[in-house]
Amino acid sequence: MNLFSNSTFNVLERGLDGSQMRQHAISQNVANAGTPNYQAKTVSFKHTLNEAIGNQLQATKTNSKHVDFSSNKPGPTVQVNQNTTYNHNGNNVDIDLEMAELAKNQIYYNALIDRMNGRFQSLQTVIRGGN
Amino acid sequence: MTIFGGFNTSSSALTTQRLRMDVISSNMANAETTRAQQVNGEWVPYRRKMVVVEPNQKTPFSSYLHTAMGQKGEIGSGVKASAIVEDQNPFKLVYDPSHPDANVEGYVQLPNVDPLREMVDLTTATRSYEANVTTLNATKNMLMKALEIGR
Repeated sequence: MNLFSNSTFNVLERGLDGSQMRQHAISQNVANAGTPNYQAKTVSFKHTLNEAIGNQLQATKTNSKHVDFSSNKPGPTVQVNQNTTYNHNGNNVDIDLEMAELAKNQIYYNALIDRMNGRFQSLQTVIRGGN
Repeated sequence: MTIFGGFNTSSSALTTQRLRMDVISSNMANAETTRAQQVNGEWVPYRRKMVVVEPNQKTPFSSYLHTAMGQKGEIGSGVKASAIVEDQNPFKLVYDPSHPDANVEGYVQLPNVDPLREMVDLTTATRSYEANVTTLNATKNMLMKALEIGR
């Protein structure tokens, strides 16, 4: 039995990775809130969470030499928001949206870390034999 | 992207906004300057200066390569002030025959600085600076929280 490689830690790790990358994207958008022709970027990582949980598409193998499907998208992906305009200078950063996303992302990150600490606490309780 | 990528992004924006504020200060300070530089022995008034900003991106080739290879897009690393340009709008003409720089008809050329516009720009720069301080603090709090894992 593996102590640390169960799905909870994997999911939390992927979540933290994605959240950190999203934080970087938000910083970038806020930094360029007044830059002409800059287009806002968003980070999505739901699919990596699904992979970590194990919801990926399984290949039907009829021969031992067949290979599993592998996702060609390692980690979170960055999308450029090209369909909106928010300003006459070609910039589409919605600063209010970015600040809301910032707050959301922080709470999400803190929640993930709390959960991770909770897992470690349970493990420690088990290791100490409930004392 | 490194751990401190978010810090670098926000700090580049802080630098840029501070530069904008410096340029606005210069414009306000020189709102009445009639002798900024000499051209062909004639004094020319101060011209309003503006900061040109653009996203601070990695070399275009690497980003094209990343896109072509179907890899995740790049977020970029902040913003940079690429130039300070002069406003080419005409100078203000004011009738003041007693002014030392008045021409033969008694008109003085004053800088093309509009204090109202400068104040609006200053407010924009200040608000943008504050927003970037907020994101910087958020990034810092997240990193500090990450250090608490396993405590």
